[in-house]
Amino acid sequence: MLTEKLSLTQLLTLIINFLLGSAIVIGVGLEAKRNAWIVVLIGMFIGIVVMLFYFYLISLLPGKNLFEIFEYCFKRPIAICLTVLYVTYFIYVSCRVIRDFGELISSAILPLTPTEVVILTLMLVIGYILYMGIEVLGRTSEIFTPYTFGFMGILFIFLYAGGNIQLFNIEPILAIKPHVMAHAIFPSIAVFPYGELIAFTVILANVTDFKYSKIVCLMGVAIASLILAISVFLIIVTLGENTAIRSNFPLLSAARLVSIGEFIERIDAIVVFMMMLGILIKSSVFMYGGLKGLEYIFKRPFRYFSIPVACIVSMFSIFISTDFSDHIQEGILVSKYLIHLPMEYGIPVFVMGILLFKKWKKEKASRKEMNA
Amino acid sequence: MNYLKKLLAINSKKEIPTHTTPDKAKKIELTKLSLLDLKSQLLHSFGHTADLQIDEAKVGKSNVMIIYLETVVNTDFLKEMLGKTLESPIENDIKVTTMDELKELSKRSFGVSGYEIIKTFDDIVSGILDGRIVLVFEGIPAGLSLSYINSEGRTVAEPTTQTVVRGPKDAFVEDASVNLNLIRKRIKNHNLHFEKFMIGNESRTTVYMGYMNAIVNEKILVEVRKRLKKINIAAVFESANIEELIIDKTATVFPLAMNTERPDSAASNLMDGKIVIITDGTPFVLMVPVVLTDFFTSAEDYYQNYFMSSFVRLIRYLSFMIGLLMPSAYVGVLTFHPELLPTTLLLSIIAQREGVPFPAVVEVFIMEITFEILREAGVRMPRAVGQTVSIVGALVIGQAAAEAGIISNIMVIIVAITAIANFVFPNYSFANASRLIRFILIIVASILGLYGVLLVLVFMVAHLSSLRSFGVPYLSPVAPFVVEDQKDVFIRFPLWSINKRPSYLSTNETKKQQKTDSPSPPVPEGGKKN
Repeated sequence: MLTEKLSLTQLLTLIINFLLGSAIVIGVGLEAKRNAWIVVLIGMFIGIVVMLFYFYLISLLPGKNLFEIFEYCFKRPIAICLTVLYVTYFIYVSCRVIRDFGELISSAILPLTPTEVVILTLMLVIGYILYMGIEVLGRTSEIFTPYTFGFMGILFIFLYAGGNIQLFNIEPILAIKPHVMAHAIFPSIAVFPYGELIAFTVILANVTDFKYSKIVCLMGVAIASLILAISVFLIIVTLGENTAIRSNFPLLSAARLVSIGEFIERIDAIVVFMMMLGILIKSSVFMYGGLKGLEYIFKRPFRYFSIPVACIVSMFSIFISTDFSDHIQEGILVSKYLIHLPMEYGIPVFVMGILLFKKWKKEKASRKEMNA
Repeated sequence: MNYLKKLLAINSKKEIPTHTTPDKAKKIELTKLSLLDLKSQLLHSFGHTADLQIDEAKVGKSNVMIIYLETVVNTDFLKEMLGKTLESPIENDIKVTTMDELKELSKRSFGVSGYEIIKTFDDIVSGILDGRIVLVFEGIPAGLSLSYINSEGRTVAEPTTQTVVRGPKDAFVEDASVNLNLIRKRIKNHNLHFEKFMIGNESRTTVYMGYMNAIVNEKILVEVRKRLKKINIAAVFESANIEELIIDKTATVFPLAMNTERPDSAASNLMDGKIVIITDGTPFVLMVPVVLTDFFTSAEDYYQNYFMSSFVRLIRYLSFMIGLLMPSAYVGVLTFHPELLPTTLLLSIIAQREGVPFPAVVEVFIMEITFEILREAGVRMPRAVGQTVSIVGALVIGQAAAEAGIISNIMVIIVAITAIANFVFPNYSFANASRLIRFILIIVASILGLYGVLLVLVFMVAHLSSLRSFGVPYLSPVAPFVVEDQKDVFIRFPLWSINKRPSYLSTNETKKQQKTDSPSPPVPEGGKKN
């Protein structure tokens, strides 16, 4: 089987789009109301720490992905159990991400089209991309990323030129109780979107220049956080905190305010494009994690699973919740504590402990041999 | 199960007998044949074809048989030359009886014009077919084949499909040797190599693979050579046949090899480290490997001011998007998202569409299909009726349809701009790809609106990024992104600043030339140099 390699630029764009993913669709840190943008900026540092942690975990055994690390730490049966757990988790998150997008399209763009159709068509495209391999995903993301930047810039300029930006909306700055702020930062923003970077523990094994990928990863996290902060800032500043919190898709609502000279109006299309790209990459990366897990379990090339798993994802993205509010509620109350926290932090920390212990033991043994 | 296996075994044993596969034809040594036998053998294999000439003559004191196809041999030249050399006084009382004497004779008489000594019957046959004259001396187990090919064909003329305002006006012709000459004239370098292949089991077409030995990437060269050798097909008539047989993947609408009829663009691609494939019998020369951005590049980009070239290139990319997206965007916006349009524009469109009985998608389809029909008719029709089609087309597609209330006026504009945008490409084969995708986009836009359009675009980009042309990623140098290659992609930098060959070709010699400075006015004497 051909080994696929990601270039550093591709890794960078993947991380940026991954973090923007659903965060830009449903907004992030809005619990902190008008201080949300500060939360995101602080979140940037948490994201960097989280990224460093995952990167350290992967660099302990270079060239091996998360599942192979499980095998190194435990025996294969236990590793398979853990892998099954992670495959389920990755596919579940992929479902959630796609559901976000399906809800966005069916409530804002195509109200008469069933969500199922929207989700299935997008998932089939993702299935095709992953069938072609991670390289194709990387290149696709590489091509579309400049548009994301461009559209963000255009949105900013248009909102500013249209006179929609009212700075008093974010004042007074930092007038918030510390514990609310802290709660918005941890666990909320640490879990979503930064904790989800766990999916990159599967991808990082495919990067060409492992040496430089650390700095590239951190750059990706920083750039994505800045874009997120800008988007949250725009949301608060244009909509005001009350509307922003009530709105299902705050950035889209903000974009709809744009009206310049009665000609440039309704630039929803470009915002939806931006969101679609983020969702596409994020869902693909998670699904790729799941596929790699399946590859590890069944010892078959992952691409044969891609279309069937894409169908499964599109089906379960409908089944996981009855409607949009249910979906959001599940994200805030249930999956955050029961699923994300243990899968993103619990198990990796545990695995890393064992890994370090094993390495230490090995080193000790080898040192003994040297002495003897 | 056993029965099935037996059945399969029987089926697989059956081989379809090919007529005259050169490899499998029996090798008859000439020793065994007398002149008469040879004649009957030849008549047997050529089947009394009208243009086969078997003359018997005498050179000095030995009998000679002269065999050729009079339709492919330059007969005037033949009579003159052969008569002069063979009947010269030196040869008059010579009797050729041994191989050495034959070699001596050919060296003396044909040393300048080129000869070949052949020893088998098959070589005689293929020599005759290649347009050579074969001389067989009685009693010698070898023949002499001389080249007097009648190279009749078009003379070099202006290119018809890839025209430029400023630049060389010569184009390739059907004759491969003329084409080689056209390239040789442009690159006077000993590193320019041509390898010869015989492709087509029955047609035996000559195909040349040309490359700059010092520049080309060895791996790509080996790959192209391997694929050319692997071709197994009865006949080749156009380089498109070869293209289809050697590209990496066939299930795609995008061309994975470039064709050109301009010697200058072939030469400049050779200098970049690409490989040209010249097929005898067609003026279209293939160039591999190719990347997507090559199709947006015209030879003229390098013959005019670089600001202008860059602007024109951007226009090409824009018109690609227009040609691809305009009709589907119309359908999508009008069917699903009318709110995206400014109110006044929307009102005027709606007012125009008031009398139109069809939904937008049907309207678009009627017009697009009509246009495709007109276009196909325009290509195929005899020249004499050309006027009729264009007048009828302009009237039908334009005014009459709108006045009859079948379509709206804005639709005419959209079809027209789409059509014009499609003709911008310097390379015809790429325009065809976008024609097909346009129809897919229209259908999807009528079902899923702009979301569907985006979806197809993402799918298209994913498909493009999975393509490779002889191992080179199709979307390079954009994805994978290479900064230093950007000097000649979307905008063209001045020539003196492009010092490197495209890195995705990973050529042997990456530098085009030493670093040069931009031209500057002379420093005035005694003045300070700034």
